[in-house]
This record gives sequence, C-alpha cells and structure tokens, in this order.
Amino acid sequence: MTDMPQQITLQEWDHRYEQLQRTGLRQPSYGGLLSRHIEDGDTRLSKLRYDNSAAALRLWNFLLTEEDRLHKARAEGKKLVGTMKDLGTIPVMAYSFDNLTAFYPDGAWWIPCVMELNTSLLSIADKLGIDESFCPVRAMLGAFLTGAHFPIPDLLVCSVGATCDDFSAIAQRLNGLGYPISWWEIPHRRTPEPDEPMVMLPGGFSAPKCQIEFVESELQRLQTAIEDLAGQRLNDKKLSEGIKKANLVRSLLGELRQLTFTAPLCPMPALEMLIAEMLAIHFCSDRNETIIVLQDLLEEVKSRVRAGAGFLSPDAARIFWVNPVADLQVMNLLEDCGGRICGTEFLFTHALDIIPQNLPPLEALAQMALADPMVGSSIDRASRICADISTFGAEALLISRIPGASHCALEGQVISEIVRDKLNIPVVEIEVPPLTDSIRPTLRTRLEALVEIVKKRREK
Amino acid sequence: MICAGIDAGSRTIKIVLMTAETQEVIAKGLADQGVEQDKLTQELFQKLLKKNDIDRKDVARIVATGYGRNAVSFADTTITEITCHAVGVHQLVKNAMTIIDIGGEDSKLIRLDKTGRVRDFAMNDRCAAGTGRFLEVVARRLGVDIGSLGELAAKSRSPAPISSMCVVFAETEIIGLLASGVAREDIIAGVQAAIAARITALAGRNTDTPIVFTGGVALVRGMDAALQSALGQTVTVSPDPQMTGALGAAILASNQITHY
Repeated sequence: MTDMPQQITLQEWDHRYEQLQRTGLRQPSYGGLLSRHIEDGDTRLSKLRYDNSAAALRLWNFLLTEEDRLHKARAEGKKLVGTMKDLGTIPVMAYSFDNLTAFYPDGAWWIPCVMELNTSLLSIADKLGIDESFCPVRAMLGAFLTGAHFPIPDLLVCSVGATCDDFSAIAQRLNGLGYPISWWEIPHRRTPEPDEPMVMLPGGFSAPKCQIEFVESELQRLQTAIEDLAGQRLNDKKLSEGIKKANLVRSLLGELRQLTFTAPLCPMPALEMLIAEMLAIHFCSDRNETIIVLQDLLEEVKSRVRAGAGFLSPDAARIFWVNPVADLQVMNLLEDCGGRICGTEFLFTHALDIIPQNLPPLEALAQMALADPMVGSSIDRASRICADISTFGAEALLISRIPGASHCALEGQVISEIVRDKLNIPVVEIEVPPLTDSIRPTLRTRLEALVEIVKKRREK
Repeated sequence: MICAGIDAGSRTIKIVLMTAETQEVIAKGLADQGVEQDKLTQELFQKLLKKNDIDRKDVARIVATGYGRNAVSFADTTITEITCHAVGVHQLVKNAMTIIDIGGEDSKLIRLDKTGRVRDFAMNDRCAAGTGRFLEVVARRLGVDIGSLGELAAKSRSPAPISSMCVVFAETEIIGLLASGVAREDIIAGVQAAIAARITALAGRNTDTPIVFTGGVALVRGMDAALQSALGQTVTVSPDPQMTGALGAAILASNQITHY
C-alpha cells in the first residue's frame, strides 16, 4: 500500500495500520486499529473512506475514544461540565481549571447517525414527546437517560435566548427530567443604534457595548458556578492562559483550513477536515491532546503541499459547504462527484476565530459568544459566508440541511439569495438525513449537477 | 454520424437521435420505465434504430441522463438532467431564463444565464406534493384517466383549497371534499394549484422570465395556468416538453463528438 495520499476503506486501514506499525508508527494511549470502533456499534464507519495518513488515524482514534476519555476523567476525580448550546465559549473557561473536563452533550445527535439508527436514543426522545419534528439533538435526551454514552456531568450549563427554539424545548425537557441546568442568556446580536457605543467583534460583526457587558455579567455568574464545582477560584491570569491555549487550537485550525482550502491539489479530504474543525468546540474533551492531533495533521498537510501531493483532480469544483451533515458519507460523495471543499461554515465559525488577548479575559469571551453567527440575523451569517467564500476562492455554495433542525429550514433561503446576489455563484441546497442510502441517487444528481455548473462556468 | 440522448426518467424513458454534425433530430421515442431499466432502455433504443433504419454502429456517441442514467449500460457517458434540460430548452427557447421541470417523481427549478448556461437550481424529490405523482393519485382516487385531468380542470369554477403539504394527507382531504359534494373538476383544479404552490416555494423570491415549463406534467392542460397564477408571471410550455432532457443529452453528445 502506497504512502501517497489516498482515501481508503476501513478494511484497507487494517492493512495500512500494519504497514505503518512496521515503519515505526508511534501511537498515543487511545491509538489502535480504526476498525475496532465498529464493535462499539459505530457501523457507519465501515461505509466511509478515510485519509491514509498516520495523522488522520490519530484524529479518528481521538474522536472515537471521547467517551472513554470522559469516563477516565471521572474515575480520576475530575469534575465534568456539560456545555450545551455553546459552540466554543464556556469550554474555554472550563479548561482553564486543571481539575475540570468540559464536553458537549449536544454532540449526541451524531450517535444515531454513526450507529446507523441502531440505538434507542431517538425512540426514547419520541416517548418523551420530543419527536422527529424536533432537532436531531433530541438524541441527547436518550443519552442522558440511558447513561450509555457519556457520564452524567456534574454541572450542566446551557445558553438560552438567541438560540433555536427546538433546542430550548429539548433542554427544558431535560431539565424537567431531573437534570438541573444553569442557564445563561445570550441575547440576539443587534446592530448598534447610531448614538450607541459599539464594539467590533472578532469575525467582523459588531454589537452594542451594552450587549457585551450583559453577556460578560452572565459569564461572570457562570464562572462562579464553575468555580464552586472546581473548588478553586479562576483569576484573570489562569483564564488568559486558557484563552491562549484555545487560540493555539484555533490558529492551528486556521492554518490547516487556509492550506487545505487553497492548495492547488486538495491535501486533506473533506471528511477529515470536518472532524478536525469539530475539535474547536470543546477540544474533544482533551485540550492538550487536541493541540497535538492538530499539529500532526497540519504537518501532514504542509508536507503534502510542499510535495505537490494530494487527492482528487486539480480541476475539482471548489465548493464552500454550509452546515454539518448527519451522514458523514456525504462528504465522501461530494469528492466522488468531482468536488472538493474550499471553505466551510459548520455553525461554529466564531470558534475558529482568535479570541482577543488584549482585553480583560471575560470581556474577550463575551465578545466571542456574541460573535457566534447563530446568535445574529441570517443576513449577518450570510455576510460572513460571503466573506469566507471570497477568502478561499470557492466557486459554488452548497447548503446542507439537517432534517428537523429549524435554523437550517429558516436560514437556507436567506443565505442562498444573499450569496447569489453578492457573489453571483451557484447555490444549491441539499437535505442530508442520518442515513442517505435510499436517496443516494438524488443526492448524487444534485452534487454532480453542481460540479457540472461550476465547470461550465469556467469555459469562456 | 448519429448521436443519441437518453433520458431515463423515473416514470418514462425518452430517446432522441440526431445527426452529430447538424444537430437535426432524426427520431424520438418514449416508453414506460420499469424495474429492468437497462433492458427497457435498450429495447426502446433498438426499436427506434430499427424503425428509422439506422445501424447501431452509426451511433457514435450516447449520453444518458435522468434518474436512471447510471443504469444505462450502453451509454458512453452520463450528464445530469439539470444540465440536459437546460441545453434542451435553450435549443428550443433561446431566451429562456427559468425552467420549471415537473416529472413523475420530482420537480426542479433551473435558473439560466443569458447564454443558456445553468446558474443554479432547486429541486424537490422528497415530497410528492410538487410532482406528477400527485396527479396520478388524484386521477386514481377520482376514477378518471390521467390524460383527461386537464380537460376536467378547465371546467372548474371554484378550485377546491387543498391545504395538506403531503400527498397522503391530501388524498384524505380529497375523500372529504368528495363526501361533501365538491365537484371533481374543482378538486383537480385545487390539486393543480397545490402543485404550483410547491413549485413557488422552490422558486424563492426571484424568478427571472421568460419561464419555460417542461416535463411530463407540462402536458397536463391547466398546469401552466396554475403555475402562472402561483408565480404571478407568464409561464410558457416548452415545445415537446417531455423530450427536452433527451434532446439536451443528444446535443451534448453531438458537442462531445465535435469537440474531441
């Protein structure tokens, strides 16, 4: 098996693994054969194609051992903080304590997807009255009730206000089931009035200063709750240190994205890039290891770019992708159809932006929370997408909807129209349910058609 | 040299044969789709060749399109129906800016630029309420032939409101309307309006004109008027609306021969 960049199946990874071992593969404690994760019920993994590098192996093993890591943290006496409806703010604070581990229970929405629906999580939610008309995050209810996936956190925090109604309903149901939640309010980010003091946020949005102050006061309240859990105070120095580490993760991801999305030959497949970006949210429950995993991946990408090596045809259509997919196989499908990812907006772009280090740390976190594209208008989100499309030189926009997720249903059209008007590039929407096998031909048609459109537009 | 365009749709198979050099249509054929897609397509193709006294070896290139395009084993290449409809319609209506294609199992709205290239598209293939399938269900429920739906709808004086977004529920609604004495004509016109409303949702806020209507459903009388009413813009039925995908595929096959 070649060392050249290649996408290989799970079965082929077994041979590749042996080959890498023979050449001195160094592995972390969570390393091992990728195929072993099938035993956990993650059967979808057998239908995916993976990057063949040791760095990608480490990335996947890191992702797929998160539950073990959480149980280990608990066994070691660490306290667990569940940070719900928060993509990248409270985890930065929580990881500033040395005896806390934060994670993202909402991420349970992916469990039924990778288990090809062979789990009771969704049916438990159904029985609780949270049916398929709600966001797939409802799987989280089943994960809490069964305790089969992650340990029940010692503290649960959840943002409310400018968040999805369906998510709020799910979180309130969880609260009602006896899992107390510390709520914090994130207001809808609004445009400052002309005579109102304003603040420019990381990522380019602006907000009235009073909103920053309000969010800062909410974060202060949460900080106290987290300090009580940790049994120690969090001073500015420690929080600044936490921000610095989070920024290291973000800058690694920033460089990885820049190189991967702009290289003449695609150096890292879409699937691995999606997984890598997800590490920004809560560091997959281990911030320091996240840094190592991303450094490895970045090194691999750099060496491939230097060598002019990569995947796919050099004329692959350059696609900007919005929203994560329920079925990971669709990321492979885009590449099968002749496309490559050149830019993404997986709902947490703000978690990839650098947190200001020249501000009091809590104020800096408040700015980041308000910089979330999801807490402002869809027009704001579309503007950010337009800016990023231009940065990465994407030739088309693909908006992937998640069935039941209200923000997808409501925002897709606004984003489409703005991108079409501002950038005059093709925009296509697809809907990706957890299992796409039965709709594969129609998905393929849409993706192939988008690639055909892009290639036709290149002709003068 | 001859080239062929095959549109292997979900309900019917359409084939266009044309001369590669002049892009003149020599023959057209249509057959029902079925389980054995490749075999049925092959049969139609052979029948068309025989009827027009064409030798298989004279067919230099075959492009397959449509839902079943990958099942056509004897095609040289496949191109999506989005591209093929655009090429086919542009050939027939040079200034078309928007194509509405309603087939048996899906519907599409394709936006074109002034040169006939596809700008982008929206597609519905998960909900039967915006497709020809809805008309089939209604025809069956009302006990009329699908071919007579348009004629009956034209007699409607007051189209019945169909509020359900789902064909299954709409069928229940139709039973209720029949029970309460609503005329068949009004129910059919109501269903046409419901299909048109689904297409309007695909269109979004901006639909450039001229709008050209293709696909098998374009043959149903009154559907163009229902779309016009829903969109508030003139909708023109394409010449030979069922064949535009196959025509586009044949043109693209011809271009491939000419260019390579």
